[in-house]
Amino acid sequence: MDNSVKHLLQRLIRRIPASMLKSTLDKWGRLTAENRKSLDFTQSKWTIAQELVSICEESELTVKHITELEMIYITENPNQGMWHTFQLVDPEDDAHSVELMQFKEQFKSHLSELKRNVSVKIKKHTDEAVWIRVAWGDGLSRPNHLKATYVVHYLQTPYVFVNALSSKHKPLLLQALTLSTKHQQIKAANLSGQKLTALRDLLMRQYQQVFPTKYPSPLPESDQSISKLRIEKVQAEASANRHRMAGETFGDGTLPALQSAVFQLETKFKDPTNEAMTQRDEPFICSVKFSSSNLLESLRHCAASGIASTPVTPLLSSIPLKGRNYFVITDNVPTA
Amino acid sequence: MEGASTRGVLSHLSLLEVQARNRGSQVPQQPSRVKELKAKVEALTSQRDQLKAELQIHKKLQKLRAPADKHEEDGEDEEMDIDSKSSELFHLMARHSELTDLLHAHNLIGGYDAITTNGGKGMCFSLATEYEGVYLDTYNLELNLKPKVRISRHNIPPFIPLNSLAEQSDLQTDVGAFLATVSQHLNAFAGRRQQLKLVKEQHKSVEVMESNLLCSILVLMFTVPKDKTPLLCTLEYTDHTRCLPTRVHLNCHDKLLPDSPNWKKNCSLLKEVPVHRALMAIKKDSDIV
Repeated sequence: MDNSVKHLLQRLIRRIPASMLKSTLDKWGRLTAENRKSLDFTQSKWTIAQELVSICEESELTVKHITELEMIYITENPNQGMWHTFQLVDPEDDAHSVELMQFKEQFKSHLSELKRNVSVKIKKHTDEAVWIRVAWGDGLSRPNHLKATYVVHYLQTPYVFVNALSSKHKPLLLQALTLSTKHQQIKAANLSGQKLTALRDLLMRQYQQVFPTKYPSPLPESDQSISKLRIEKVQAEASANRHRMAGETFGDGTLPALQSAVFQLETKFKDPTNEAMTQRDEPFICSVKFSSSNLLESLRHCAASGIASTPVTPLLSSIPLKGRNYFVITDNVPTA
Repeated sequence: MEGASTRGVLSHLSLLEVQARNRGSQVPQQPSRVKELKAKVEALTSQRDQLKAELQIHKKLQKLRAPADKHEEDGEDEEMDIDSKSSELFHLMARHSELTDLLHAHNLIGGYDAITTNGGKGMCFSLATEYEGVYLDTYNLELNLKPKVRISRHNIPPFIPLNSLAEQSDLQTDVGAFLATVSQHLNAFAGRRQQLKLVKEQHKSVEVMESNLLCSILVLMFTVPKDKTPLLCTLEYTDHTRCLPTRVHLNCHDKLLPDSPNWKKNCSLLKEVPVHRALMAIKKDSDIV
């Protein structure tokens, strides 16, 4: 095993949290039973890494196997790094019947046509997600496995999630994706974040949306134990309305854990007391970022409690409705 | 002079005499005629009474119907002096007629639960899916009606091509056709997904090698009892409005097996019968483990 591969393995072991190391190695399944027994997981990571390197050398494992291990780890723990979403548009007539084998072959062949020396690994996860790992090399050098790009796509949906893609390789990857999924174009979907599961759940509508219904199910009385007949909430109706509108806009229960939203303002400065600024012709460029451990639940709470006015402004309701968290706002209209 | 005699007094008298004689002969018919007429009067009276009573009941039922239909308060109830026993009956009858009308209206709008939103500017439709008599997921679709009919919010998964379906049926003039197509796609998808679930539950000896979110392709691995040969079966559901595959393809090391009469029969069975039930039949014939 040459030094670069050893380095790759060591870095990977350092990256995997100690608590997950044993289970990830087991899932990998490339170590023999005695090897697995001989590994002492109470040692320091550095020591474990050293031992693993020698075990892998003995078993003659190659870079292919190491990247397999990395892919297993990332697939099980996808909420790291920064994921960006792209949307495929203009499907061709047979786009809806693209199946896995076909997609795999097409993607690999298109990508290697566009760039030589790329190492591509494609694997289907149990939830039907197709995971792609691309290590980029160029005509002269071998693929760089330390900075691999990860792509997640669900066939027959328009969305593609990408992690760690450099601007140099972006057009190549996007073109290969467009061709192999039989679409004509791909564009940025303006939705990004650390938690892949949140982005996916938002776009696939895997959360409890609320729709107006003629027969609303009765909400359980939450504080019946402390209800006293003489206490009457003065604004009960207004509060109930706000809760309902907030629920209809954002959803019920646990919402996808989106962590930020950015509004890029390119509007004219409006402050009558500040002539110096208002006199300028150019728009005032300002960026507003909302951050939260769960932005959608925070915004819902704002609307329900009255901090944000209801009906919820389209600036905020566009986040779940359009499934994006980056907006550019000009003076005319927020760009869709 | 002859003509004058027919119009004279005497002729008139003789005419009267004839009439009197005729009337005299009718006199014995009168009692039965009277009886007839009396009977008729009785029948008509009782019919009138019956109709009056029905009218009264109908009026009462109308009053008892849900307040949403009329703007009447409880005060009106006092006008009806009906005793408690018949009032229960009246309430039931009122409810029954209300429900029948509601069901009729439900059928008129295509069987979807619909509600206007946003002060009449929008409508929200509820599309239920079912398969083999079991209700599955319900999907919702909101439409904005003004200025143009446009799809607003929905919770339909992205692998159902909602936008292209909206383009195909003219949303502005025929919302019903659009909803019917969407409902067809959703029900077919729910049916295929349910079949996959049942295959996994009921046929543990069959391995699912590949599927996708839309459930439009299914690759199964069978084990043939003789020699435990693996047999790969691909089911392609290219018509997304149907629950049955359009193409069934077999792959095996033993090239002759797929062409055997048994397996040809099994292939056509898989195209005609939902997969979980087809597998039961195939197992029964001992063609697979």
